[in-house]
Amino acid sequence: MAEKTINRELANVINVRLNRQLLYYIDICTRCGLCKDACHQYVATGDVTYLPAYRAELIRRVYKKYFTRTGRFMPSLIEGREPDDRLLDELYRTTYACTGCRRCMYYCPFSIDTTWLLGVAKAMLLEAGRGSPILTELAGAAVMKGENIDLFKDVILESLKDTEKEVQQITGDASAQIPVEKTGAQAMYVALAGTHTILPVAVIFHHARLDWTLSLFEAANYGYFLGDNKLAKTIADRIVDEAKRLQVTQIILSECGHAYRVMKFLYEAWAKEKLPFEVKGIVEVMHELVESGKIKLKKDSIAEAVTYHDPCQVGRNAGFYEEPRSLVKAVSRDYREMTPNREKNWCCGGGGGVVAEPAMDEFRLKTGMKKVEQIRATGARIVVSPCENCRLQLDGLNEKYNLNIKISSLMDLVADNLVAQK
Amino acid sequence: MTEEIKPDLEIDLKGLLCPLPMVRVSQNISKIPVGGVLKAVATDPGSLADIPSWARTTGNEVLRVDKGDKLYTFYVKRVK
Ligand code: SF4
Ligand code: SF4
Repeated sequence: MAEKTINRELANVINVRLNRQLLYYIDICTRCGLCKDACHQYVATGDVTYLPAYRAELIRRVYKKYFTRTGRFMPSLIEGREPDDRLLDELYRTTYACTGCRRCMYYCPFSIDTTWLLGVAKAMLLEAGRGSPILTELAGAAVMKGENIDLFKDVILESLKDTEKEVQQITGDASAQIPVEKTGAQAMYVALAGTHTILPVAVIFHHARLDWTLSLFEAANYGYFLGDNKLAKTIADRIVDEAKRLQVTQIILSECGHAYRVMKFLYEAWAKEKLPFEVKGIVEVMHELVESGKIKLKKDSIAEAVTYHDPCQVGRNAGFYEEPRSLVKAVSRDYREMTPNREKNWCCGGGGGVVAEPAMDEFRLKTGMKKVEQIRATGARIVVSPCENCRLQLDGLNEKYNLNIKISSLMDLVADNLVAQK
Repeated sequence: MTEEIKPDLEIDLKGLLCPLPMVRVSQNISKIPVGGVLKAVATDPGSLADIPSWARTTGNEVLRVDKGDKLYTFYVKRVK
């Protein structure tokens, strides 16, 4: 196909997504630069191509070139650009680097959602056959697991036996279980791959006497990071279909920020259907269990200084600030807040799927500098964060910058500090 | 007796959590020739489903999985 036709088809990716929101984001940027100091990646690298407004500008210029009158006849006047190899290379580098933290949106006077615009950029890259190869593989593996779950069921169930024994030891109850495929259970818990996100939750739910069942699938969704909404929906469908089949009234997603975002805020629009169950995150569920007295925490049991890192997808993008803090503060004698925090918190640098991209390791650890400074300033020895991606990044930062800290999930913190039930 | 498989490359995935076992396998399989075998030792039980799923989706082949005490050894053949 001629280059011009290919470029037009790529530009058309913007046009088919054009709604009022996208048009607003394209039109309204005044290049005021307020998003500049909000982005941890620009702040750490000083590279202008990582400015939020610059990344979005690449999409704007293609739009202007093809879909405005001036752009069609005199593109240079408005800096219109073709989606040629150079532009696509730059788009790939800056788009898949974005962690989707939306700190730039918080500081933008017009609340421009750069991540949204970069979603369009990802769609254009996919159309050009330039999606991230590793994210494509990981998303493909998740779909494959869904299609062949009967092949894997036995190994999953077998690996759960050891975990179940651990739950029995910890709770002192030989009848404690990790229920799987329990029809009619009140809640289905969706963990992450591996048992480290199952064990603490099984202990907590046992204490709370919750009627639950464990999903056979993991919450993580690499189709979402890839920017392929169809694939992301297929991955999420595995969980939705299982929940429907088991007729649960609620699904509870593990400490995985983007998985919560997909299921809570995006899935219904993708599927054009209302889910017949409630979607919750484990953070809010643990908070509710404490508030309702179903579980009790050992007050002030941790003597070491503890701080809390707000995962962008749990805090800024979902609004859970106080719930996790109340749990951490309850068990900590010396709780120290990072500055800034809550909606202004710095991204750790590990979101958006960048932890899965080996080529980005150096960049990722470099752009975690703000988080390193924040942690150091607290003097805390334990950093709690309810997101697996954040914890992977915090582990990396701990090692690289010799922070000498322990990184804990909120689930572990709660499970390790439960008052035994009578 | 299980047949001995001579790997072309061995990688240690102990302590790594999802998605890193799959990522490391993907990264290292390209370092061996087509037809060669990558041996990967993991501790994450999630990799028992993840690595074979990754292999199927990328057109590679898991020849064998040895399960020890919380240790999982994968022999992955590079097919293409
Ligand atoms: S803060 Fe908003 S308006 Fe200002 S440059 Fe950034 S995106 Fe544009
Ligand atoms: S969402 Fe976060 S990483 Fe992406 S451009 Fe905005 S501030 Fe930077």
